[in-house]
Amino acid sequence: MFEMRGIEKRFDAVVALKGASLHVEPGEMRALLGSNGSGKSTMVKVLAGLVKPNAGEILIDGKPVLIRSGDDSRRLGIATAFQDLSLVPTMTVRDNIMLGNEPRGVLGMVDDRKSQKEVLSLLERFHIDCDPDAFVQTLMPSAQSMLEVAKAVRLKPRLLLLDEVTASLHRDEIDVLFSVLRELKAEGTAIIYVTHRMNEIFEICDTATVMRSGETVAEVSTSETTLDTIVYHMTSQQPDAKVPCGQEEFDPGDRELVLDVQNLAMFPKVKDISMRAYKGEIVGICGLEGQGQPEVIHALLGVTQPDGGQIFFQGKQTHYKFPADAVNNDIGFISGERNVEAMFPMLTVEENIFAGKAAKGPLFAYIGDKAVHAFAQKAVDTYNIKAGGLRQPASSLSGGNQQKLVVARWIAMQPAMLLLDDPTKGVDIHSRREIQKILKQCAEAGMTVILNSSESEELLEIADRVYVFYEGRVSGILSGAAKTPERLAAAMMGMTREACGPKEAE
Amino acid sequence: MEAIKRSFIRFRRTPAFTGCILFLAVLVLDLIIQGPSQFFSAKSLNTLFSKNMPLMLVAMAQSLLLISGTLDISIGIQLALVNVVSIMTMQVWHVPMIVGFLMGMLASLIASALCGFAISVLRLPAMLASYALLIIIKGVNVLIMPKPQGNVPQEYYRTYDLLIGGVIPFSALFLLAVILLWLYLKRTKFGRNIYAVGGNPRNAFAAGIDPVRVQMQAFLVKGFIVGLAGICLTLMTASGNPLQAEDYGIRSLSACIIGGLGFGGWGTMGCAVFGGGFLVLIQNTVYYTFTLLNRLMPALKITSYWQNLVSDCIIFLGLLMTIVTAKAQRETLKQGFVKQFKRGERIDK
Repeated sequence: MFEMRGIEKRFDAVVALKGASLHVEPGEMRALLGSNGSGKSTMVKVLAGLVKPNAGEILIDGKPVLIRSGDDSRRLGIATAFQDLSLVPTMTVRDNIMLGNEPRGVLGMVDDRKSQKEVLSLLERFHIDCDPDAFVQTLMPSAQSMLEVAKAVRLKPRLLLLDEVTASLHRDEIDVLFSVLRELKAEGTAIIYVTHRMNEIFEICDTATVMRSGETVAEVSTSETTLDTIVYHMTSQQPDAKVPCGQEEFDPGDRELVLDVQNLAMFPKVKDISMRAYKGEIVGICGLEGQGQPEVIHALLGVTQPDGGQIFFQGKQTHYKFPADAVNNDIGFISGERNVEAMFPMLTVEENIFAGKAAKGPLFAYIGDKAVHAFAQKAVDTYNIKAGGLRQPASSLSGGNQQKLVVARWIAMQPAMLLLDDPTKGVDIHSRREIQKILKQCAEAGMTVILNSSESEELLEIADRVYVFYEGRVSGILSGAAKTPERLAAAMMGMTREACGPKEAE
Repeated sequence: MEAIKRSFIRFRRTPAFTGCILFLAVLVLDLIIQGPSQFFSAKSLNTLFSKNMPLMLVAMAQSLLLISGTLDISIGIQLALVNVVSIMTMQVWHVPMIVGFLMGMLASLIASALCGFAISVLRLPAMLASYALLIIIKGVNVLIMPKPQGNVPQEYYRTYDLLIGGVIPFSALFLLAVILLWLYLKRTKFGRNIYAVGGNPRNAFAAGIDPVRVQMQAFLVKGFIVGLAGICLTLMTASGNPLQAEDYGIRSLSACIIGGLGFGGWGTMGCAVFGGGFLVLIQNTVYYTFTLLNRLMPALKITSYWQNLVSDCIIFLGLLMTIVTAKAQRETLKQGFVKQFKRGERIDK
């Protein structure tokens, strides 16, 4: 009934979808699966009218249709519950649910009594305990997620899209949601369900479509397949769930403990993270998108303050209020969002390299031209950074070289610990190799490197140990012989959860 | 008792709360300084309304834009545009004043549409685009009417200064009309849509709303209210001046912010009424305080320049206070949030 064929989407140079396809029948609940950057969220956005595909066609009942806006999508009988929520926080629960489809009363006014009745029955159906007149921003995240679904269900759609709606829900709320979904299925609604929780797929979905790097790689029926097969399609690795989880598996020898994070919790993504890093070690952080990795990096750096747990750096507990505090304490930070967080595109290459050093020391100290040049030259020579002319503006460099520049800036500062948040995102393979080489050199020289990366191969290659995050907790610690792609795949999908994390309530 | 308490708590959470408190405070102050009998005398009440109606209406028009997530600084000079067009239409074509007013209204709608086009469709930053438009409209005003001139037929401005039944100022009818318009609009789809677009344009789009269209509509409604305000201004001054009322743009903004409107989807037109009322009464109070001082201590010889300085300082304090209360509201919100989250976690375990 609903079919997408040959969908392609490019965001500038990045290809999000290349010839992806998807189909779903009335009364069918289909899981849409894939790991980081596989394009599943983009597929949902195409159907919801938020993203316009470059090529491909969408068929409903065999007839091609055009979806150019959220309005088009709704008119074709498609309703979407988004992962990042489409509620307006400054509006009330009632107005949010009715938004865009309010019942008309006298003189074209909205019939509030009618909508109140409808909202109350909807809240009851989803067991959401809140006042219809409460502002959405005052509700807790799980209630907001349920509202998001309730809002979509109210439209009585022919196709319901659910994009990771269970991420912040508790088990009893999920049960309520699933029973509603089963009712809808029985009524003949087609449902596409995006999730990273594998057990949910087998619990409620009939079929599954697996995507990898923008392509549809497999279509399976959940009753005839196993979790291992699905994970194999997602990651092209046979999962191996025997992941060691405790610290005791690893013997640090006589190396100095540099970073010790104990039970870090941060509202709402990070729940309980403990990790350690020793001198001269590259520690990798990895996981599916949105499991709390960047949040932990930000907490270490003092961008955000944790709600619970302690961070010890070089034996002392840290209470950084600003990143500047962290920098003064010998911590460096390299971001994947070069343009936003790290680059000064109008300044020259040497000024960019010097920027980290300029942040230290007295505010009004005189900085000579020659000093800047010599400092930059030394950094470039030591680490063999081919970053064009030192006096050229940084914006003239390619993306890969810009990233090398940012790396050079911090390396030149010789921090005791260097934090990297997805530094090789959108960087060409050659520059990536060079950055990895530089990081290895630094670690050998005694620097501690914490590397968060969405490229799991990269981590397996250069990290000494890899912490795998799943739903705000550590689902596996891979080191030595256990550092295999198979085990990584299992840990990323949370298949080791029972063995590692605290048990969920029954 | 319990019900009153609950409704007070609910009122305290609404955005209009700070504005209302500030307004009531200055009202009480004004009553004390002026004395209730003089304040409520028909004449002084009438002057209060008729002299300040343009500002009140402009603040209400501005609040509509703030709710939909945009703003217009040129709103003040647009008043002068309505004034100039109305007077000149009547003078040049020898038509009744009412036709002049209609032309003025049309001019206001066109100016608002242009402003809306630049801000919503072309996506220029609202502050810069409307400032550029301010200068353009000023130029147009001077082209139409090179120097202050003209007059309004006597029966018109007499009507404006009329006291209906000896109690209700005629000018208050304008205020009432716009309040009724707002009460209606708030309950329509348009009313819901401006809140959604102001609160989060992307999510509004995902809900099937066209944000550009909604903002354009908001600009047109604002154009209508500014047209009314311009008519009030014309009746009030009974003459034309191409360069007047420019500062109403900034003053309407400060009225809205003092009234408790946030930028984008937070607040109601009531906030603008309270904020506007605050600005008006502060000036009134300061004026009477100075007259009182001059009478009691004639030796002091305080000039009227001091009045503006003092009232503007008080307005600045009012603005500061809204920041403090907004921050307090945000903090309690965040604390409640974390508390709820932690409770949820405990259930989880």
